[in-house]
Amino acid sequence: MSKPSDLVQGTLDLLLLKILALEPMNGYAISLRLKQVSGEVLQVSDGSLYPALHKLEQEGWITAEWRPTENNRRAKFYSLTRLGIKQLEKESANWGRLSAAISNIVKLKEA
Amino acid sequence: MPLKHWFYTLPLRLRSLFRRDHVEQDLSEELQFHLDQKIREYLAAGLSSDEARRKACREFGGLELSKENCRDTRRVNYIQDLLQDLRFGLRMLGKSPGFTFIAVLTLALGIGANTAIFSMVNSFLLKPLPVRDPEQITTLAFQLKKGPLLTGFSVPELEDLQAQTTSVFSDVIGDLFGAGGLTVNGKTEPVYVYFVTGNYFTALDIKPHLGRFILPSEGSPTALSPVIVLGYNYWKTRFAGDPSVVGKTIAFDGHPVTVIGVAPKEFHGLLSMADMQGYMPLSMEQVDSAYDRTTPVNRELRSVFVYARLLPGVHFKTAQSALDVIASRLAAQNPKSEEGMTLGVYAERFSRPDPDPDRTILKIATLFLILAGLVLILACVNVANFLLVRATARQREMAIRTALGGTRGRLIRQLLTESIVLALCGGICGVLLGLAGSRALSSIRLHTTLPVLIEFQFDWRVFGYALVVALLTGLIVGTVPALRASGRNMIEVIREGGRSISGSRSRLRSALVVIQVGGSLMLLIVAGLMVRSLNYAQRSDLGFDPRNVLNLTLDPNGIGYDKSKGLQFYKELLERIDTLPGVESASAAFTVPFGYFNDFDLLEVPGYEVPQGTAVPSAGFNAVSPGYFRTLRIPLLEGRDFTDADQEDSQWVAIINEAMAKRFWPKESALGHEFRAVGDRAHLLRVVGVVKNSKTNSMIGVVREYFYVPFAQQYSSLATVQVRTTFPPETLVTSIREQVTALAPMMPISEVRPMLQALYTVNGLLLFQFAAGLTGCLGLLGLILALVGVFGVISFAVSQRTQEIGIRMAMGAGQSSILKMILRQGILIIFAGLAAGVVLALGMASLVGDFVSGVSPYDPLTYFSVSTMLVLVALVACYVPARRATRVDPMIALRYE
Repeated sequence: MSKPSDLVQGTLDLLLLKILALEPMNGYAISLRLKQVSGEVLQVSDGSLYPALHKLEQEGWITAEWRPTENNRRAKFYSLTRLGIKQLEKESANWGRLSAAISNIVKLKEA
Repeated sequence: MPLKHWFYTLPLRLRSLFRRDHVEQDLSEELQFHLDQKIREYLAAGLSSDEARRKACREFGGLELSKENCRDTRRVNYIQDLLQDLRFGLRMLGKSPGFTFIAVLTLALGIGANTAIFSMVNSFLLKPLPVRDPEQITTLAFQLKKGPLLTGFSVPELEDLQAQTTSVFSDVIGDLFGAGGLTVNGKTEPVYVYFVTGNYFTALDIKPHLGRFILPSEGSPTALSPVIVLGYNYWKTRFAGDPSVVGKTIAFDGHPVTVIGVAPKEFHGLLSMADMQGYMPLSMEQVDSAYDRTTPVNRELRSVFVYARLLPGVHFKTAQSALDVIASRLAAQNPKSEEGMTLGVYAERFSRPDPDPDRTILKIATLFLILAGLVLILACVNVANFLLVRATARQREMAIRTALGGTRGRLIRQLLTESIVLALCGGICGVLLGLAGSRALSSIRLHTTLPVLIEFQFDWRVFGYALVVALLTGLIVGTVPALRASGRNMIEVIREGGRSISGSRSRLRSALVVIQVGGSLMLLIVAGLMVRSLNYAQRSDLGFDPRNVLNLTLDPNGIGYDKSKGLQFYKELLERIDTLPGVESASAAFTVPFGYFNDFDLLEVPGYEVPQGTAVPSAGFNAVSPGYFRTLRIPLLEGRDFTDADQEDSQWVAIINEAMAKRFWPKESALGHEFRAVGDRAHLLRVVGVVKNSKTNSMIGVVREYFYVPFAQQYSSLATVQVRTTFPPETLVTSIREQVTALAPMMPISEVRPMLQALYTVNGLLLFQFAAGLTGCLGLLGLILALVGVFGVISFAVSQRTQEIGIRMAMGAGQSSILKMILRQGILIIFAGLAAGVVLALGMASLVGDFVSGVSPYDPLTYFSVSTMLVLVALVACYVPARRATRVDPMIALRYE
């Protein structure tokens, strides 16, 4: 089981923001989506998902709303705030720089 | 950005704090939804319902842990913890009401004493004037040829300052204290007013409570503007706060004046501690029958206090250098009156009541704040000691908390919260005690009918001070016990069963009590020195005999008597009083010894060369009627007393004291020599008598040059009649009053009291009495706290050693050896404290030395007697618990758990 601490620091935030940027979702749907899009490479335990979501909410990046699901149960749906959109842009850019830098290093030919 | 941030997060935080149950419910529901979805998923995949549930739960990890992690993201934990600690702290305090009561009371006494004294310091030193930009207001003062620092300027000097300082001051204002009679509806009462310059109120920029203030156009020193602004309190009492009084005409010294306004409630004039009853234009000074016609032009008739408002942005130093230039210019232009003049500018706040380069008031304030602070430290030590005892009792609680996962920081925070709660409770009670204390301080009797304002108001500064003191107290008393309680090894504690006490802990508690004994000894030594100083002053030779003398102050000008009518009135009155049974002699004088009015002038003595480097000669003086020296029993050494023949048109004469005779005519008799007071250069005063030195306005120090002039030659309408009686002076009040009203039914009479009582003024014994009383109270408080400390530590030791004592007694130890054993510990503490106290007191001696007279701050007698007293009382405090130890029944003690 892979824990968020095994992810590159701050990556979970970026993933969650990105997923929520596509459409508002509840926690369960987010966990499915994470698995689905990363091809089960990135596994986040359910127990760590919620604290991460709550942290983003407390930062003011995402906001939550109670809505009925398709099968008519109440669930907490998260969506991005305007601050969250900005944060996503910032973190995407950071990620781009970081991954580019790392792959450059990795590609270095050994002399 | 941060603002927008708060827009999203603030509602969340508030929700987390105040709708905690909702937030919790949401959290459970959210996680439950997740689990349910998971279970559905596994059910759909064909697992049995039990298996599906188990698998879902396993995958989730710890549900409660996840919840806790979610809670941690809310960022209000510290507030919730604090609330929890507060609730817990209050519950703990409520559970042991005895401890809480004693601890809160102890802290309240300490904080109360500090608050009361701080409220006094606040009103003397900190409270700004209730005017616009009070920090710009300055007080001006000057010196002539390095003479005394003087605050009274002459009218021409004031005008020069106004004209020449426009580059540094926006306004230069002046006020002049005056007494008169105010007649309303046929009744005259004494009134104390300020004669002010026309720009006075515009410069201070305050709003009248009613009507208007005096205008700059009404400020001419010569053209009479018969208007008066009433002081708020005076308007409330004399006019019952009647707003229709504005516009009415009343009489001041028999002259009609129109009431134009009422000053605002918080404004009392610029002189601190005075509550002026009225304000009139400077020109109205003329209605006084003793008014000197040369006032507007005489550069040496100095009695106007001058204040200036600094221009915005102008620094004191700039103003001072501007004044330096002006002073030398004035000195060059007026060599006769202003030779060697230096001008000084002082912040108003540090000039209460007078500009004082020595900052005496600040020193007094420091001394008393130190003493009060010491009382608080003693109180803190007591409470810290209580808390240490409790910490011992709560060791198991702390160990269990640690075992349950409480971190050390968290435990310390909880214990500190408890002690701060305790201190805040103490602070609240302390403020109440402080209010009572400050009321007691301000009810001090000044023995005058002058409108003195002693209001030690509790403003935000005082409350803020009390709050800071309380919080600090909480931290101080809590830190050591908290560190100790949380720092112990839990396994050890649980194994010990909370029974034993480690040696170092009881050493710490003993050390704290040593500090207490030492601190209280120092307080008591200071109090002892102050009491001795008061005794010394009370018993010191005044040079006159204050016993069996009755004073009463009259002001014939107040009902419109002119000078000749006033003189006639005094003459007839004294003759009538002389014939009363029980009266030995009667006289009149402008001022009484140690009174609140003092005349003072620079001297010019023909034939006397001022030695290089010494100050220009000056002397205090008093205008007295014939018989004054007989009434006060001041021996006439040479020459004659004044007689009725010394009139305004005859030769002007003076009687001087020994000090003055010795200074100016050391080798010959002073009789027949002449001198001038610079305020009145027109008259050369011929010495006709020399009297023995007597104290006039200072209890301490050598008697300075002083002279007396005949009342008829330098008439003052406001004067005090003094009557030497053979009966107790109080018994003659009625008959003397009858004589006054028989001569002048409307005459206002004030300040009726025996001379012995009149000695207790600010110039006289009052401050000695005040200092002795205040330090006495603080010393007593310190003593009580120290005794509680000694008693507490010995009692605790006895209770901790009950088992040991039981064993000793079972082994055959006698009562006396047990008593000795316990007392030995107490005696060690007391003597260590004694040594500490003496060292502390010696350290304070140089500061205390400035405020005691007639006794050295190292006075061995005081040190010895106070120490002896403290030792005796402290031994009693040890003996009581030690005695209890000897009554221990070995059987019970051994079974005691």
